[in-house]
Amino acid sequence: MLTQESHKALVCIQCGKCTGSCPESGKTLFNIRMLVRKKQFQAVVDESLPWYCTSCGACTIRCPRDVKPSEVIIEMRSALIENGSVPLALQKALENTFVQKNPWGRSRNKRAAWTEKLDFEVPHISETESKRLLFVCCIQAYDPRCMVIPVNVATILHRAGLEFGILGEEEACCGNEIRRVGEFGLFEELQEENIANFKEYGVKEIITLSPHCMNVLKKEYGDLGIKVSHYTELLAPMVKEGAIASKGSYNKKVIYHDPCFLGKQNGIFDQPREILKSVEGIDFLEFSRSRENSMCCEGGGGRMFFEVEATYKRNAEARVEDAISRGAEVIATSCPFCVMTLEDPATEKGLIVKELSEIMMEVL
Amino acid sequence: MNILVFTKRVPATQEEELRLISDGKDVDFSKLPFKVNDWDNYAVEEAVKIVEKGGGAVTAVSIGSAESDEVLRRAIAMGAKDGFLVEVDQALHDPFARSALIRNFIQKEGTPFDVIFTGVQSEDDQFASVGGILAALLKLPYVSMVIGIDSVEKDYMIVRRELEGGLQERVRVATPCVVSIQSGINEPRYVSIMGIRKASKVERKSFKGTDYDAGKDAHIELVQWTYPPKKGGAQMLTGELGDVCAKLMEILKEKGVYQ
Repeated sequence: MLTQESHKALVCIQCGKCTGSCPESGKTLFNIRMLVRKKQFQAVVDESLPWYCTSCGACTIRCPRDVKPSEVIIEMRSALIENGSVPLALQKALENTFVQKNPWGRSRNKRAAWTEKLDFEVPHISETESKRLLFVCCIQAYDPRCMVIPVNVATILHRAGLEFGILGEEEACCGNEIRRVGEFGLFEELQEENIANFKEYGVKEIITLSPHCMNVLKKEYGDLGIKVSHYTELLAPMVKEGAIASKGSYNKKVIYHDPCFLGKQNGIFDQPREILKSVEGIDFLEFSRSRENSMCCEGGGGRMFFEVEATYKRNAEARVEDAISRGAEVIATSCPFCVMTLEDPATEKGLIVKELSEIMMEVL
Repeated sequence: MNILVFTKRVPATQEEELRLISDGKDVDFSKLPFKVNDWDNYAVEEAVKIVEKGGGAVTAVSIGSAESDEVLRRAIAMGAKDGFLVEVDQALHDPFARSALIRNFIQKEGTPFDVIFTGVQSEDDQFASVGGILAALLKLPYVSMVIGIDSVEKDYMIVRRELEGGLQERVRVATPCVVSIQSGINEPRYVSIMGIRKASKVERKSFKGTDYDAGKDAHIELVQWTYPPKKGGAQMLTGELGDVCAKLMEILKEKGVYQ
């Protein structure tokens, strides 16, 4: 029996718009148009190929026949997962997520350890009146580089007088990357666990720190009747109305990198820009490829958890070179995965990468 | 070939801070996540690979609480035909008691096998003794620390053992026998959640440990759990970066780390 994605693959006219926009096709062995063709004919696909996809979604957005090539890839990955053929590092990330509810295998009991860096208490969601949940998720809860993001955003919200709470160790990975890796069963378990908590504590609103969490909670958890936003959506109007006012200035040339899951997949282009432009002293720059055409950093679709064989110049490096050619001193972005992928080549080339909340904290 | 493989559900302690309770009589397991014992995962994979190639059946056996059914479902998802749970009320830390229970179970139930696989050790108790004691109790040949199975014949196997200093020893062992499997012998396949759900539909047999004199032959009595003695804390260097670096170099030279 043909699956829904296989049916969609059948309407593909092989126009090649997917390959033209793909951050991997043309420089790796991965070719999205070829893989969709193989899906049409149910032909055998080399096991290494589907793992190259970064789930940036460019192919799906550009496809004139609504084939959703990125979903075709997820289905191919799912078949490999069910067959047990998974790259080892990715296997470890999945097993960690099953045991500890985060891909890094860190203790679930330490999921709220980042709150120790705050000079105020963050209540459990059950103790709040607003039932506004700050959904922290894995990389922000555990990675030493990214732990600063929840600390910053919580501090900004606290100073602005906005009440919010957290789930702490009850929070499980959002599952955005788990679903994209094709582990549907594990995704369902994470989804069920988080939804049960949202319902138990009567969550009315969710603020996410990562665009990846926002994407899955908003679009793939089903209709929960809960408003889900990325923190930049919440902060942009507060900055505009003066509820959050910067005291200092940031006298640097700052270029903004659009994360795929925030920008091209969810249309949030303006809010991060409005926040940055409101900061005194910032000389705001744009990449040659920005907004809908922003170049993927290659951190999505499970690629944060394992390395593919790469003999090509990484997109993150190309991105940093573009930033330098435009005269930027700082690359600002609003996604933890983008921070992680961009920072290595940036540091090598003498450029600074800042998550948007880091710049805000410096001027508030 | 019929392979009996033992698999244990253990706490995942690597990232956890263990807390002792009841005056050191027990560990607080209430907040710990559990997983399959790493060595047993390799043992199940090796057993499944052998029967996939040469025919036969794998039967996974777990001794523990009712929750140990998790590791049986996992083994079935990997390719085991059956899953047997021998339920015990209290954890059996003593390796002799575990081995005696297994012997009693095998003999009483008449469980057929050509080979018994155990992991080299379990992540929680780490005695690394069950395989050897079990072989002695069953009066069977035993090969420990196996890192490769080169051939499986009708009445013998050729296996490789890991020795000190990176040496390997190739051994011909008559079957039936007991083999303890070292981690790294293979790359265990990924078991998806969907796979585990499907495996849940395969009936697992449950047995009561008391029917096999569970714990009767224990040689070791657990007296108390203790934390390791605290050693001196780290020396924190403070001050200007240059001074801190100079002080650090001085200490490293003094300790002989840097010449």
